[in-house]
Amino acid sequence: MREGRTPMKEYDAIVIGGGPAGLGAAIEVAKAGGHPVLIDENARPGGQLFKQIHKFFGSREHYAGTRGFAIGEKLLQEAEDEKVEVQLNTRVWGIFPDHIVTAVSGKEAVCFRGKTIILAAGASENSLSFPGCTLPGVMMAGAAQTMMNLYRTLPGKEILMIGSGNVGLIVAYQLMQAGAHVKMLIDAAAETNGYEVHAAKIKRAGVPIRLGHTIVRAEGNGRVESAVICKVDAAFHPVPGTEEKIDVDTVCVAVGLSPRVELSALAGCRFTWAGALGGQVPVHTSGMETTVPGIYVAGDGAGTEEASTALDQGRMAGVSAAHRCGLLSDLREAEEHRKIQERLDMLRSGQFGEKRKSAEQAVWKAAGE
Amino acid sequence: MDEEKIICRCEEVTEKEIMQAIEGGARSLDEVKKRTRAGMGYCQGKTCKKLIARMLSSYTGEPMEKFLPGSIRMPVGPVSLSVLAASEEAAKEGTK
Amino acid sequence: MQYVSDHPILGKGEAKELTIFFDGKPVKGYEGQTVAAILMENGVRTFRYTAKRREPRGLYCGIGQCTDCIMIIDGVPNTKACMTFAKEGMRTETQHGNGKTVDAGRENADERV
Repeated sequence: MREGRTPMKEYDAIVIGGGPAGLGAAIEVAKAGGHPVLIDENARPGGQLFKQIHKFFGSREHYAGTRGFAIGEKLLQEAEDEKVEVQLNTRVWGIFPDHIVTAVSGKEAVCFRGKTIILAAGASENSLSFPGCTLPGVMMAGAAQTMMNLYRTLPGKEILMIGSGNVGLIVAYQLMQAGAHVKMLIDAAAETNGYEVHAAKIKRAGVPIRLGHTIVRAEGNGRVESAVICKVDAAFHPVPGTEEKIDVDTVCVAVGLSPRVELSALAGCRFTWAGALGGQVPVHTSGMETTVPGIYVAGDGAGTEEASTALDQGRMAGVSAAHRCGLLSDLREAEEHRKIQERLDMLRSGQFGEKRKSAEQAVWKAAGE
Repeated sequence: MDEEKIICRCEEVTEKEIMQAIEGGARSLDEVKKRTRAGMGYCQGKTCKKLIARMLSSYTGEPMEKFLPGSIRMPVGPVSLSVLAASEEAAKEGTK
Repeated sequence: MQYVSDHPILGKGEAKELTIFFDGKPVKGYEGQTVAAILMENGVRTFRYTAKRREPRGLYCGIGQCTDCIMIIDGVPNTKACMTFAKEGMRTETQHGNGKTVDAGRENADERV
């Protein structure tokens, strides 16, 4: 149990978070000739990518037709090829002036100093409260996904999924692939805001989707044994007399994601509200710079979108950071920014993408762009 | 029947207790925290913050963003004192 | 609650088996799994009892944020089961309250209520 400390090293970019955004950022800094360090609290990098066993869609540049974990492997290979330094099992707990980052790794104190900091710590799932919500068996949809897709553990056998967005739909399907029985998927809203292709898959598999329904309570002796649901009206008020009990051992909650704001707040970033991007987001330019010079943000931590957007935002931030370190000319930076922005605009097309695009543009405006 | 809903899972604070704090004058996450301990537990409000902000927003009519992100201070996440001490040493050395 | 040894996308599981302990009893799992995964796979859903209301808690966020899954692991209380990779012979115990003493949870509960 020896406590120790590693003397502080200086980097061109300290990238906090090793998911697609962080990987994209570190890769771009390294490609420009810089020396980044990629820090992640987990034992493996990749963020949420390795839990995504479904095929992504989009363009060829966005790895359309490739499964999430395969994209993760490609990114790790690219990072390795660029000789990106990676520090795993390292959890950042402080950000100090002069871009000093303090972290803990096991029992060891680690400090970093960087010319720039790129925050890519991702999002967290929104919680939901209802009577019985603390019973073992009530869990976030992401927790169920982690159990199944990373560890091959079936999180439950008879599932109630709450939430019809992409996470709810995708995880419901993955639960079935792992051998669970999804008894029902409910959402208080009258319409699902997930992609139709995901909804179609679970409908075909016979899962009843009850929109305009909410959970009244989870019940059981020390663990979930049943759940009671009911109809809600347009104002989301429960409709009396519509309660229905279903026998389940697991209730999965998929009611949206919010950017993790701890590190951005510590770094002194200003925030703005963007409902379409998960709520509170750190104000940033199109080049992903926050209101604190030299501190950038990328991925779900900048606004919750998708893995492909996260990756490209990471690349954008990496290019900006590399430019700030003098590794890229103004012209090169502008060129790369343009190319990446084109890809991001492509990703943000369609009815859901448009909302995110306007929200993102409003964030740039708040940054003074 | 007033069924109990736990809002702050770490400190086991119910919706009723938080509503009482708001009705009693609490108008921020910090004020709710000081009266009920909601947000003071091991996760430091990560899980319950948005839920409490929504309650404050509902009651006061102000938008949720007014109450977020609340006060966030170092260390983010639990850190042992020996690590803090060692970090200070390292930081001092690094700034020489 | 079971191990998905043959998955339509992930294929066959080929990890080495290992044994950890839960409240003194041996429990089987696989290399690369977390304590939370192994326990859930073996039908254990309660990892701790809360300090105030002495209620059972288990896996909630699964990603190291919510701290609902904390247990006493190899003697260290408040250890996140979802973030701790299992090692052969690891000792995991149900945590009561803050885990300092076996009765810490019960003492605190009486004082606060």
